[in-house]
Amino acid sequence: MDTLDSTTKLNSSEIFDLMKQFITEVIGEEFVEEMEITMESSFTKDLEMDSIEIVSFSEKIKTHFGEQIDFTGWLSNMDLDELINLNLGTIVNYIEECQ
Amino acid sequence: MARFVFVVPPLTGHINPTLSIGAVLLQRGHQVGWITLDPALAPKLPKGGELLLIQYEETDLEKQDSEKYLDIITKKIVYGIDSIKFLYEEVLIPLNRHSYEGIAGWLDRFKPDLVITDHQMFAGAIAAANRGYTYATSVTAPAAIKVMDELPKVHEWEMNQVIALQKEFGVHNETSIACSGELTMVLTSKAFFGEMELPEYYRFVGPVIHQRTEQVPFNWAKLNEQEGNKKILLSIGTTFDHEHKKSFFAKAIAAFENEALTVVVVSDPSLFEQWPSNFIVQRSVPQLELLPHLDAVVCHGGHNTVCETLTHGLPMVVVPIAYDQSHVAGRVVRVGAGLRLNFNRFKAKHLKEAVAEILENACFKQAAVEISRSFSEAGGTEKAADLLAELAKEPVIDC
Repeated sequence: MDTLDSTTKLNSSEIFDLMKQFITEVIGEEFVEEMEITMESSFTKDLEMDSIEIVSFSEKIKTHFGEQIDFTGWLSNMDLDELINLNLGTIVNYIEECQ
Repeated sequence: MARFVFVVPPLTGHINPTLSIGAVLLQRGHQVGWITLDPALAPKLPKGGELLLIQYEETDLEKQDSEKYLDIITKKIVYGIDSIKFLYEEVLIPLNRHSYEGIAGWLDRFKPDLVITDHQMFAGAIAAANRGYTYATSVTAPAAIKVMDELPKVHEWEMNQVIALQKEFGVHNETSIACSGELTMVLTSKAFFGEMELPEYYRFVGPVIHQRTEQVPFNWAKLNEQEGNKKILLSIGTTFDHEHKKSFFAKAIAAFENEALTVVVVSDPSLFEQWPSNFIVQRSVPQLELLPHLDAVVCHGGHNTVCETLTHGLPMVVVPIAYDQSHVAGRVVRVGAGLRLNFNRFKAKHLKEAVAEILENACFKQAAVEISRSFSEAGGTEKAADLLAELAKEPVIDC
């Protein structure tokens, strides 16, 4: 499940589901059940993820996509305001474009 | 004999280590002063230490409001990454801007051989640079440096705030001078801090544990009343407001009432009308005397409490709220000395389970003991005093 056939491209709804899975792994299933996760969900305000959780979420993306996507590089280039306002949709779009 | 001056922000966690290092320098026959905005520091200074209070002329309206900077950090509910913005824009930058002239004035009067400035009191570094004094930096919240690696752009943003302030005061470097290129003492061990490439002037001296001089009364009889009970300490430090405390301790009550635990809580007892009978609630506790009697600690991830807990080889549950605490919590988990919970998300049962786990599974305690060993090997207070004394002796080259 965690390895990706490099010839398969995920569409945005598949990427969204995958991101949701990663969020679940980072913050725990029982918390996710109580949340409504959408493309608009922001990491800081809506999902209440702190910086360590965001870092570990980005590590999951890195592990999954490998060299295909420089996700940590992209994330580490965000300044404070961008990071505060970062939402799931932005990430889904980025991954979709990179594939 | 040399003259040392510490420049400290009005933040307990940043001040305490300087009191211990200063005490050692005084014992060795040096002269030591503390430049601060807070007159309440006077009774806490070690014997012989001089209070160098930043005060401005009464006529200077803008500068009369020193008091408002003393507890500014407690005035807003902050959480997560947002808090870094608040910390710089609303706390550190105004505080440093306000303090600059006062610091510069004291440097000229005290004429120190060495200035030791806190890494978040960068006005101290700017004033020292402008007046031609050698300075060292003490990093009392080391996780702030770790951000460089984990979220480099956030670090860059922080540094840009510092650089802009430097420019206001005529230092035109394009890099922050907050961390001294002569000596920057990081108050933790490398083992706890984690891997990171740093220039050689960063020295890991280990945490400087502060033996508070004031006697804090404590209900020792009650601590040992229930034989067989494990004993834990719950504290979320000094800077968080009422709402944070209320939500945190309400969950703690639900988690631990009727458990076979004796729970020491650092809080205003009036926060709740009633506390469970197995709780000991005091506004302040003699934390260092208490730790040897405890089995575990639950805290918010403030650097000092975490270091004191690890020094005593105790496992912990960290519930970070803001600033660098998320990173401190990350380190605790990474070295295996404890578990972390998300402050906004956790429920009573998670706290209960996490505490049960660190108490039952010996590997957490073992990891804490190992970090404790790395702390004593780093040298602590004496090592810090040695490094400062050495730097103060070096002749100052005019350039």
